[in-house]
Amino acid sequence: MSRWIRFLLALMIGAMGGLFYGWVISPVEYIDTTPDSLKIDYKSDYVLMVAEAYSVEKDLLAAVQRLGLLGGVPEENVRQAVLFAEREGFLDSDVALMKALQSALASWNPALETPLP
Amino acid sequence: MREDRGPWYLLTGLVLGAFLGLMYAWLVQPTQYTDTKPASLRADFKDRYRALIASAYMSNGDLVRARARLELLQDEDLYRMLSEQAQRTLAEGASIQEARALGMLAVALGQPPPTVAAPQQAAATQAPITPTLEAPVLTPTVTSIPGETVGISETIVNTEIVSATLPAASSTPGAPNRTPRPSATPTSEPSPQPTPSPTPGAPFALQSEELVCDPSLDEALIQVMVYDAAEQGVPGVEVIVTWDGGENHFYTGLKPEMGLGYADFLMTADTVYTLRLAEGGQPIPNLTPTECETADGARQMGTWLLIFAQP
Repeated sequence: MSRWIRFLLALMIGAMGGLFYGWVISPVEYIDTTPDSLKIDYKSDYVLMVAEAYSVEKDLLAAVQRLGLLGGVPEENVRQAVLFAEREGFLDSDVALMKALQSALASWNPALETPLP
Repeated sequence: MREDRGPWYLLTGLVLGAFLGLMYAWLVQPTQYTDTKPASLRADFKDRYRALIASAYMSNGDLVRARARLELLQDEDLYRMLSEQAQRTLAEGASIQEARALGMLAVALGQPPPTVAAPQQAAATQAPITPTLEAPVLTPTVTSIPGETVGISETIVNTEIVSATLPAASSTPGAPNRTPRPSATPTSEPSPQPTPSPTPGAPFALQSEELVCDPSLDEALIQVMVYDAAEQGVPGVEVIVTWDGGENHFYTGLKPEMGLGYADFLMTADTVYTLRLAEGGQPIPNLTPTECETADGARQMGTWLLIFAQP
């Protein structure tokens, strides 16, 4: 066996060792993640919580700020959550709350909000 | 000549291969943080998640749902985490409503879960499932104006019996549980005599007013303790002290070592204070620095201890 072949074999064994270490011995631990990486189930429940709070507080700015934690566009996050909720059979009352928030967001004009001091 | 190099090239290959493997795992195809769970959130995001759970609880009063959501965060002690966050929120001067929501949820979770026996006739007609009952939430309706004797009429708003077992979110194996929902068929009838639970907004009434002569406290203090119906301290309750030409607002829960429902105020000599809770109830007048005598006969400034509780 030529020296090059043995070298390449060692290289492959080393690579496998590196992958084995990275994926098995010391696998990635999911810590300190951000809400935008949450699974759609949890995102949908998060949106539902925002909708539940909004249904009583009627504070759309607070709702938008809470939705901002999910990253992206709030309206889109709510739309995705509503779709998920309908597909997965959330309670009608819960879906209604989310749709109410969706409607409120559709007519929301940030420019009309009173700026915070 | 070539034989003198020995097997070092093999070690070089191994090290180089390991290096390439790690580079591939970390740079070429790095870990994608997708489909994570709330438990993996960074601490500050967990705080905001927890606060939202509390706000949602204040809106719907659904303790089962709130508990299920909190459990997603995998905190070791739900009550302690909520209480500490409530106190932290107050100390940082953030939203009082948020602190109060956190405190109320902590108080609700801190209560022992009531166990209600299912009526025999109901059990006989149900599927053989051990019913898990959730106490109906009572919403007190204040029927008199603040400052007078308050009457409360209880209205059962949540008598659906819900299963503590959460339905699966989807058919995907390992998918997280979705928001807890009432089972389609009640597994039992509600208790005819539901156990009241503290409800956000319920009034606090003065239970006792006492001049305490504590040798370890030689300051003219007003100490306020606020308890809920379950005799647990309630953080985030706004207390208003007024005097001739001045007013001060402070909140319970800022000294957690003294209890969640504790707050105090340092009086100035020759000033008469009136204290009341912002949520209403009768004002407590004529609070003024007063001398008292300790057990060993020494004279010192006493402390006014005011205890408020939900009826």
